[in-house]
Amino acid sequence: MTPDAIAGYKARYPAAFGPTRRQRAYRIAGAIAFVAFTIYAFIALDFTWERMWNGLDRLGFVFRFMFPPSSGGYFWEYVHALGETIAMALLGTSCASVVALFVGFLAARNVNTSMLGYFAVRRTLDVIRSIDTLIWGLIFVRVVGLGPFAGVLAIFVSDVGTLSKLYGEAIEAADRRQQEGIRATGANRPEELRYGILPQVFPVFLSNSLYFLESNTRSATILGVVGAGGIGFHLADRIRLNAWDEVCLIIILILIAVSAIDWISRAIRLSLIGEGRAGQAAGRFSSVDFIRGEMSRARA
Amino acid sequence: MLTLEGLTKDFAMTRAVDSVSLTIAPGELVGVIGRSGAGKSTLLRMINRLIDPSSGKIDFVGEDVTALKGKALHAWRARCAMIFQQFNLVPRLDVMTNVLSGRFHQRPTMRNLLGLFSEEDRAAAIRALDRLDMAPFCLQRAGSLSGGQQQRVAIARAMVQNPAMLLADEPIASLDPRNAKRVMDALKTIHEDGVTVICNLHTLDTARAYCTRIVGMAQGRVVFDGPAAELTAAAAREIYAGGDEEDQAVFEEGLTSLSVTADPEPAAKAS
Amino acid sequence: MTEALPSNSTVAIVERARGEIRRQKRFQTILFVVVAAAAYLAAGYIGEVSLGTLAEGFFGVFTYIYDTAPTLHWATLGEDLASWYWGIERWLLELWKTVLIAFLGTVFGAAGAFFLCFLASANLAPNRIVAFLCRRFLELSRTVPEIVFALIFVFAFQPGPPAGVIAIAIHSMGALGKLFSEVNENIDKGPLEGLRATGSNWYEEIRFGVVPQVLPNFASYTLLRFEINIRAAAIIGIVGAGGIGQELMIAIKQFHREDQSAIVLMIILCVILIDEVGRRIRHRFIGDDMPSRG
Repeated sequence: MTPDAIAGYKARYPAAFGPTRRQRAYRIAGAIAFVAFTIYAFIALDFTWERMWNGLDRLGFVFRFMFPPSSGGYFWEYVHALGETIAMALLGTSCASVVALFVGFLAARNVNTSMLGYFAVRRTLDVIRSIDTLIWGLIFVRVVGLGPFAGVLAIFVSDVGTLSKLYGEAIEAADRRQQEGIRATGANRPEELRYGILPQVFPVFLSNSLYFLESNTRSATILGVVGAGGIGFHLADRIRLNAWDEVCLIIILILIAVSAIDWISRAIRLSLIGEGRAGQAAGRFSSVDFIRGEMSRARA
Repeated sequence: MLTLEGLTKDFAMTRAVDSVSLTIAPGELVGVIGRSGAGKSTLLRMINRLIDPSSGKIDFVGEDVTALKGKALHAWRARCAMIFQQFNLVPRLDVMTNVLSGRFHQRPTMRNLLGLFSEEDRAAAIRALDRLDMAPFCLQRAGSLSGGQQQRVAIARAMVQNPAMLLADEPIASLDPRNAKRVMDALKTIHEDGVTVICNLHTLDTARAYCTRIVGMAQGRVVFDGPAAELTAAAAREIYAGGDEEDQAVFEEGLTSLSVTADPEPAAKAS
Repeated sequence: MTEALPSNSTVAIVERARGEIRRQKRFQTILFVVVAAAAYLAAGYIGEVSLGTLAEGFFGVFTYIYDTAPTLHWATLGEDLASWYWGIERWLLELWKTVLIAFLGTVFGAAGAFFLCFLASANLAPNRIVAFLCRRFLELSRTVPEIVFALIFVFAFQPGPPAGVIAIAIHSMGALGKLFSEVNENIDKGPLEGLRATGSNWYEEIRFGVVPQVLPNFASYTLLRFEINIRAAAIIGIVGAGGIGQELMIAIKQFHREDQSAIVLMIILCVILIDEVGRRIRHRFIGDDMPSRG
């Protein structure tokens, strides 16, 4: 193509020939601002070459000493601590689910019709949620002392905050017509909620709770770092003592435990979802067939 | 000169293309016709090397296309442009960039990735769009255009590749009659510029109206090969009914309603 | 019912059907109850739970809040507040650093995830071995909690924010990498085929065929991750990795009760603020344009 032809097209469709000078200037300015802010952040956070260099050196040292992993003779102690971790997650999530079942209704706009009450509940839950489980752990260690019980309470409280909000949202999304149908029969308010809403939202509750059991197992592994029971205590302790081979073993144990819980909870979820379908499967008891058969026999 | 020798493609359960041998001279406009599932689409995809043949050979002017790998394979695809039934544009990119992607192979990868296109590339893209009356849309997102407009963008992309050959896989099957005609006319213009065009078509009328040569496929095999004039009713029955008496209805449809109209089932592809 | 019903009445038949259903489910129900009871008993035993301490724990929170709450008098409110927040300048600075830690952690985590996600997607990876290795690497990075990484990096890089940044970056990379590659696996393959047919190579296919499709989703996941990372950065200081958490830890270790409530309150406000801002940004930038997944 001749330069003239190119110039001709350029004159007819200037915008097709790339960004204008002003657009380009904005883009470059944006990129420079981003890079400058990143550099500022590095400086403000005390990144120095010396620190990075020495750190990488020490990190290499850590990795060298991690292998082979070893229990240092404390294997069963670690397994017990791991059990403690899972127990904390199980108890915390279960208790929180039960409490959230009730609080969830209070946090739903269509159930808690008092505007003031609704906002009070919602804001309280927001505050509870914005405090991390680990900080709750710190607080409960002050309150009930070191040990797994503090961890259970920490998981319990922070999950009440999150689960209630999720449950409340599920209730708000529920189909109103079912509730109306129950109300039309002359049912009172608790009956309305029990039969008009709960059947709709219960599966959502259950799958949320199971999901939280998984994620709480992860949180529980670190609660021990602040003394709230579980494997995290040993982990922090071994790191302090530079026992890197044991640290490695503990991390491996954590990974195994977390994936085991993931697997179990996924299996439970699948079986719960699958049950509805399996009910109609061949070979299972069919109440319709049974009643039809009996009635025709009775008539005969 | 494109030569196919015993080209075969097996999928898990079926043989999609069964030892197809063809010789296509430069400057032909070949229409490949046949029912859905006859292997037309698989054949074209093998020629562009989007899928690898199970056996057989593709030869283009003495070059063994089936043996190409890496950069040479990319070069082959660039010379052998292709357009698709579902257009296969990137909907979130503007028309301009979609057309410029036809130039990728001729340019350094790094400049492509950074989006640095020369004025000459841009002018070529606009010229191609202009020939298809699509230049005013060049800064719109491709996804916001109608099907017929998208197909014209796809043709513009193929044109900026300066291809030796253009493969069109059911280019009008998803379009309404008016757009279908515009697209077929565009293919004809490209053919008149000296590019070999191989075009999969669902319909007899369109093939008769536009193509210099017709290849009929049924169940993966070539069952007819000759000029449009030689395509008798008996030959057409063979292509569409595949010798199967029960499929007369399909054949009737092939003869009558399958002109430049929209495919009743656009999702049904030959692969 | 006192009156005996004839065995062929509809009521009796339905009751028999109900009994049959219950009998068939009985085994499952019993098994479930036994397993659950055993699990809870074991958990209660291991977790050292007792009802007495439960009550103690419950009321202890209020005692704790009461203990850490500042003494504020209406008459001297200004002075009281000033003495409660005596360290406000330092704490605000630490809070700002917390945001910076989250920013850098998110930027580098997202960058790492961006480069690895294409190699980890089943439909885009150049070969299976690369995909397998990348996926395992991402899995390891997200399964190990941030705090554990932070503990190790605090040893390696000395206490301070850099350890926190690196820990958060690695964990974010793992979490985002998984989400990104799931987005990649759900893309429309048509545009990719179209590009391949023009002779584009792998990099060009990714850049022009994949990235335009997935970028809006990537951006919204990254923004969400930034919010999560602010929470993480706020607590990561507990193990010495910088930010406001470190101040909180000092206050707790030295029993400065009023400082504890002051700092926790600041964290709460900061998190709520960021949540709100994040929600607004997501609505404005992505809004209806956010393609639904799946």
